[in-house]
Amino acid sequence: MSAFYEGLAETFEVDVSEIEPGFSLVDHNWDSLAIVSVIALIDECDDVMLNGTALSKCVTVADLEALIAKAKAE
Amino acid sequence: MDDGGAPRPGYSVPGVALRGVVSALPARRVTNEHFKADFSDDDINDVIKMIGVEARHWVAEGQTSSDLCLAATQRLLARLDWAADSIDALIHVSQTPNQRLPATACELHGALGLSPNCQAFDVGLGCSGYVYGLWMASALINAGCRRVLLLAGDSSSRMIDPKDRGTALLFGDAGTASALEASPGAAPIHFVLGTDGAGARNLLVQGGGFRDIAADERRAEGYNPDTLFMDGGAVFTFTLKAVPALIRQTLGRAGASVDEVDALVLHQANRFMLNHIAKKVGVPPERTPINIDRYGNTSSSSLPLVLCSDLGERLTREPMRLMLAGFGVGYSWGGVQMDTTPLGCAETLVL
Repeated sequence: MSAFYEGLAETFEVDVSEIEPGFSLVDHNWDSLAIVSVIALIDECDDVMLNGTALSKCVTVADLEALIAKAKAE
Repeated sequence: MDDGGAPRPGYSVPGVALRGVVSALPARRVTNEHFKADFSDDDINDVIKMIGVEARHWVAEGQTSSDLCLAATQRLLARLDWAADSIDALIHVSQTPNQRLPATACELHGALGLSPNCQAFDVGLGCSGYVYGLWMASALINAGCRRVLLLAGDSSSRMIDPKDRGTALLFGDAGTASALEASPGAAPIHFVLGTDGAGARNLLVQGGGFRDIAADERRAEGYNPDTLFMDGGAVFTFTLKAVPALIRQTLGRAGASVDEVDALVLHQANRFMLNHIAKKVGVPPERTPINIDRYGNTSSSSLPLVLCSDLGERLTREPMRLMLAGFGVGYSWGGVQMDTTPLGCAETLVL
């Protein structure tokens, strides 16, 4: 998961140590640009493509991880 | 499972050579400073971090992409020493024609003084249009044409909504001309082409056509049908899904490996996206030229513009194995793997 966390830290311009499941996306400029960055990041780390609408509903990193796990199980 | 011996997607066309490419940019160079009147510094910086555009060239009042294509073609013909009456076909790829009719290709035919036996027609594609143009030129040459001019140009700056952060900073204008010729010994050119019409409304300028647009739901939100609408997230997702597969299919058809490609030339859609695609297919940055920082997304011109701006010197000096991919509006996409012999010219003009 560390490449994923490092990518999130880069996207949100915070230190990687701040990224944990409870990290709030919506408090960190969770806009369309951040969403497409995260779509690409997840594609790179997990080889799954999530859709923007589903991502935009995520509030925390844990929500993202749940969505990734669900997509991988499908 | 028996697939019935289904062939790999695409086409391989022998006997066609690319002889030269010229790109023309309008003189007006617009840097990101220009947008400070409409957007905050943070807004601009966020977008630039993603798309990577530092400057772009925009047409002047009264200038169209066909003017740029015309100048590029005149230079190309002079450099190659091709007589106007030696051209059998002119293909003009653009989404910014001079008028609804006649086809701008016919005007360009007149301005260039081409032969009455020369066919000339427009193709209304954007980001994928150059690959489609190469495909059509190759098919025409296999059907008997000897010399074909492929003109690709767009002045997208004339369609953008200056208040739309997603598109206002992204696009640049350019016009290009490429010369293709019958060459019996030439290595086959490999094409993969495709379309997904389900994405047609995600990148769209509704105005100027004949479908009734009065009822469009977005008009209530102030959407101007004469400006470009882009659902950036949807287009982005489409691209990440479609383009790595397109590159793999095209190289698979050509029997070429990623490591043998001298340059992966991608439609200059968005710098972040290009880096992601290159990484995903395993081509290092030094073999993935990017010029979106200098010229923005120039729609149908972007692939030939990269050939001139970033690969021109090498293309005129030595043979190259190229993989080109165009993708976007439509949705429409095309991949082409071609081995070039040293070109007679590959240069950029500023008008």
